[in-house]
Amino acid sequence: MAASTMTQEAAPVAHHFNNMLQQQSTVRLGMWLFLVTEVLFFGGAFCAYTGYRIWFPKEFEAGSAALNCGIASVNTFLLLTSSLTCTLAIRAAYKNNQFGIKLWLLATIVLGTVFLGLKGREYHLDYEEGLIPTSRTIVVQEKQDDGTYLPKERSQFAENVTKVLKQEGYKTEGVYMPRVQLFFVFYYVMTGLHVIHMIIGIGLLSWQLTLAQMGFFKHPERYVYIEVMSLYWHFVDMVWMFLLPLLYFAGPHTLEQAIGQFQMAIGLASGHHE
Amino acid sequence: MSEVRETIHESDDHHVASFGSTMTTFAVLALLAVIQLAVGFNDFGPMKILASLTITGIQVFVLSVFFMDLRQADKLTWLCAGASVFWVLIMFTFTLTDFVTRHMAAY
Repeated sequence: MAASTMTQEAAPVAHHFNNMLQQQSTVRLGMWLFLVTEVLFFGGAFCAYTGYRIWFPKEFEAGSAALNCGIASVNTFLLLTSSLTCTLAIRAAYKNNQFGIKLWLLATIVLGTVFLGLKGREYHLDYEEGLIPTSRTIVVQEKQDDGTYLPKERSQFAENVTKVLKQEGYKTEGVYMPRVQLFFVFYYVMTGLHVIHMIIGIGLLSWQLTLAQMGFFKHPERYVYIEVMSLYWHFVDMVWMFLLPLLYFAGPHTLEQAIGQFQMAIGLASGHHE
Repeated sequence: MSEVRETIHESDDHHVASFGSTMTTFAVLALLAVIQLAVGFNDFGPMKILASLTITGIQVFVLSVFFMDLRQADKLTWLCAGASVFWVLIMFTFTLTDFVTRHMAAY
């Protein structure tokens, strides 16, 4: 109730702006400036990735081949559709369509949440397959030329990745596993940063949905806040457009394999690792 | 001050995209995503990464110009978008100049 009173009393144009149009331009510029810092933030990670991929192309391809492209493909369209619903929310705000604002904000939140749910499932599958960078070692019995077995210390991660890649039919000869581990560090850091941005985005969208319930976004005074929120959301989508080819499609994959992986992930088919 | 107010913010020439235009942009982006997946699921050898990044570049252009409304943006916003690309290019150029040529120092 207090918040509702506050929004009604808030002046549409702050005292330090000449008029509404200047205020709106400034709000847009503020978000664009923030996005510049975000571009440089993600740019650093992509730059490091590029350097190491140029150095270790074979290992990065092998690491990518072990990823779940089925979930990534579906997530691409979920995020793209959420960009559409976010844009439709701007249109609704511009037309002062209060129901439309709430509908499209909610649709964006739902699509983003489904994306995160599937991403969480993907991380869980990676965890089950042991595709987590670690310095842990295990002892395996290795067969010698004379037929006897000798205990050998092996990297836990290397054993797990080799097992997954063999299941995918990927030849691991000449692949240096510690470098594959480096690929997975990039995979978790880059997708993790993207996930954090999505969680923040969904939080902000939920906040806007709450404000929309209170009739906050009246045109022309406050529609611009929906617009700048969508700028952030589109940026998150843009980052994914780079992550998909660089992480998931760096290695060989087939459509059949991706469909199978997705069906297994959502429980429609039994997994090969089970 | 009043002159600045009148010359820079004298009228609202900002228009929201029509429903048809928004859906067309989405259709183009969805088509590009399908092409991206088609490239990803096939083996084009060294050309795969070039093709993928070209498609991503087109996607980013369409998304920023139409969905992020750069087409109606003022010069300062274009400067922001351009500056981010410019600084990223500087970061990539200087970093990769080191990474790509480092092995040459051994000879």
